[in-house]
Amino acid sequence: MELWRKARDVVRKKIFFFILLGWVLLIIGDRVDELRVYQGAQIAMYSIALASIVLLTGYSGQVSLGNGAMMAVGGYSAALTLNNLQTPIWFAFLMAILVSALFGSLLGAAAARLSGPYLAGTTLALAVGLPAIANQFTFLGGEPGLLFDIGFPPESFGEEFTQYKWFFWIASFIALISLFITSNILQSRFGRTWRAIRGNSLAAELAGVHSSRMKVLAFTISSALAGLAGAVLAMTISLVAPGAFTLALSFALVTGAVLAGISSLPGVVLGGLILVVIPEIADAVANRFGDADKLNNYLPGLIVSVLLILSVIYTPNGPGENLRKHLRKKATH
Amino acid sequence: MRFVAAVLATGSLFATALPAHAETGVSSSEIKLGITLPLTGAASPGYNKIGDAMNAYFKYVNDNGGVYGRKITLIQKNDEYSPQLSIAKTNELILKDKVFALVGPLGTANFTAVHKSVGLARRGVPSLFLNTGFSGFANKKAYPTSFAILPSYAMEAKIAAQFLKDNMAGKKLGLVYQNDEFGIDALGAFKAAGVKFDVTIPYTSGTQSAATAQTWVSQLAAGGAQVVVFFGVTSATAPLLAVAAGAKYAPQWILGSVGSDPLTLRALGVPVAVLNGALTLSGNPSPNDTNDEYVKFFQEINTKYNKAAFDDYVLQGMNLGLMTVQALRAAGQNLTRKGLIRAMENKGSTFASVGYSPLGYSKTSNVGHTGYYMAVMDATGDRKPYGGSVVVYTTDSGSGPVVKSTFKRPALPAKGLPTNS
Repeated sequence: MELWRKARDVVRKKIFFFILLGWVLLIIGDRVDELRVYQGAQIAMYSIALASIVLLTGYSGQVSLGNGAMMAVGGYSAALTLNNLQTPIWFAFLMAILVSALFGSLLGAAAARLSGPYLAGTTLALAVGLPAIANQFTFLGGEPGLLFDIGFPPESFGEEFTQYKWFFWIASFIALISLFITSNILQSRFGRTWRAIRGNSLAAELAGVHSSRMKVLAFTISSALAGLAGAVLAMTISLVAPGAFTLALSFALVTGAVLAGISSLPGVVLGGLILVVIPEIADAVANRFGDADKLNNYLPGLIVSVLLILSVIYTPNGPGENLRKHLRKKATH
Repeated sequence: MRFVAAVLATGSLFATALPAHAETGVSSSEIKLGITLPLTGAASPGYNKIGDAMNAYFKYVNDNGGVYGRKITLIQKNDEYSPQLSIAKTNELILKDKVFALVGPLGTANFTAVHKSVGLARRGVPSLFLNTGFSGFANKKAYPTSFAILPSYAMEAKIAAQFLKDNMAGKKLGLVYQNDEFGIDALGAFKAAGVKFDVTIPYTSGTQSAATAQTWVSQLAAGGAQVVVFFGVTSATAPLLAVAAGAKYAPQWILGSVGSDPLTLRALGVPVAVLNGALTLSGNPSPNDTNDEYVKFFQEINTKYNKAAFDDYVLQGMNLGLMTVQALRAAGQNLTRKGLIRAMENKGSTFASVGYSPLGYSKTSNVGHTGYYMAVMDATGDRKPYGGSVVVYTTDSGSGPVVKSTFKRPALPAKGLPTNS
């Protein structure tokens, strides 16, 4: 009974925290210019995508390089739903979640038999191959892709309310809800079981954990999150096309997750921020030197790669994780 | 209260001191323009030269007094050919750098996404000279502030179909095409023209390699194709021609304009000799044709301001620069976005351009060049008009007829500096 009340308090606090966060976002959205609002929507989108990696890799210990492909599944499902059935937007997002979850569970069933580099290889193949499938079927729109137009913001918001602010609101709302749910899942029995499997799957099985079933579950939920992120991405670019879900996207996501701390959910916001900010920093650095155009083309990739390498060498769990440990140590001393 | 009044008074003073209406990206001394294009990545070879070439021409114009005294600044942003990056970079161009207009944005999926998400039409941002042949952009209602430059893939296929009927009747025909906007536009046009292929090979973008080219060549050879039409990108042309040469299979090749840049073909390791005798659809003169006044002039600019290997991409980039300057001049000294769009609609079709075919700009059309001529490549990869002289055919992207053009290309403005208004 005591435990139950404690748990309820934790959830209440968390709900309060997320509402507060949403309120802060609302205020920020009102204060900054259009470019920042658009970047905010991107950060929200990346946060959802990174959460799917944290859940899958950080918790259940399965390495996937195919998150871009899962995002493609979600994006295309949402676009096909919206375009062909003329449904409300929320239903398109729901379909993105359902279809990619289904896809993820099928993939998870196969993936549960694989581990380490074999799993990474399989999912890598998926990231390379899946988006190209769109070229094979005309109903998927080929190279130019399909439009995903959620329409203008409601008129009651007024003239000043821009399209990008509308994207930002929707993306932030979806990100807040999905991060709230994910954080609850990770703190539940499932989260603990996944960590047990990641730590030592044999020991976990001896303790009565059905490890392959739990792995499939992790894949399913992670895919649902990635698919949702894909639909949000499609919203912000008004389009789904093979070129939107490239291998580079999958790698950028893994980098973001590693930099933010692969097993830390709050870190995903930091990760999203890093992915959006790096090109900006590169821009600023390049402008200080002469031939800005030339330098600027290579700098973002260079910064990402160097950060990833440094992070893997010096802080294998990600700088975010180290920082948190450091703070915790300070607190206990 | 007195404080508030003071603030209001100073505020209104400042407000009146500002010019009545300053257009975004235009000052008394500068016009800011922006372009997004793949400067790095798989799709970049060739295209990455367009921005620098355009800039070289702008530098020349700036050194000669600019446009009504204003110097042109071109900001290039690398989108790696990805729609997300294209949007992010266009947002930077429009919201941060505050450019006046976009010139020469590249890529079909990219521009579709940018146009919708950034809201180019809603913001009234002119987007001149889209570097894509997708016929969908010819919809003036959907793209009121955008103007194409390249003839569409559909036009190209219609003209190729006419050529096949006129010159290759009775021969066994093969078609290799990229299974997306290149090929699908083209396939429809061939069907409509009543051209039937004995061997048809679609391929998916990204699957082209020496191994897949092997299967194409064996299919084509088995089907006995004597004439093979190819609609795809250069990275697919290269293995196709190389493998065919190795297998001693030598049909009459007809290459679409997108996949027939000799320099890029050579860079991809195709022995130059296989190009000998291949036909290609072309809208511009050969970049080596120094008898052409435009080519000669642009080569000089390239030597002085750019120092890149002069090829079709550099030629195209410089020509976009030339057309941009004419558009800016036509919009008048009091430069506004609306004025630029009006100038394109009213005067765009009279602009001097290196392309041999007429420009289709009007109040109801945002179509650029409207035709092609057939050229034949020689053993050095250079191209000459098929039959000795340039015979341009023009058509539209719809069901209009293919007609021999009588259009006379405007002369290059003196010293390559437009004086139009």
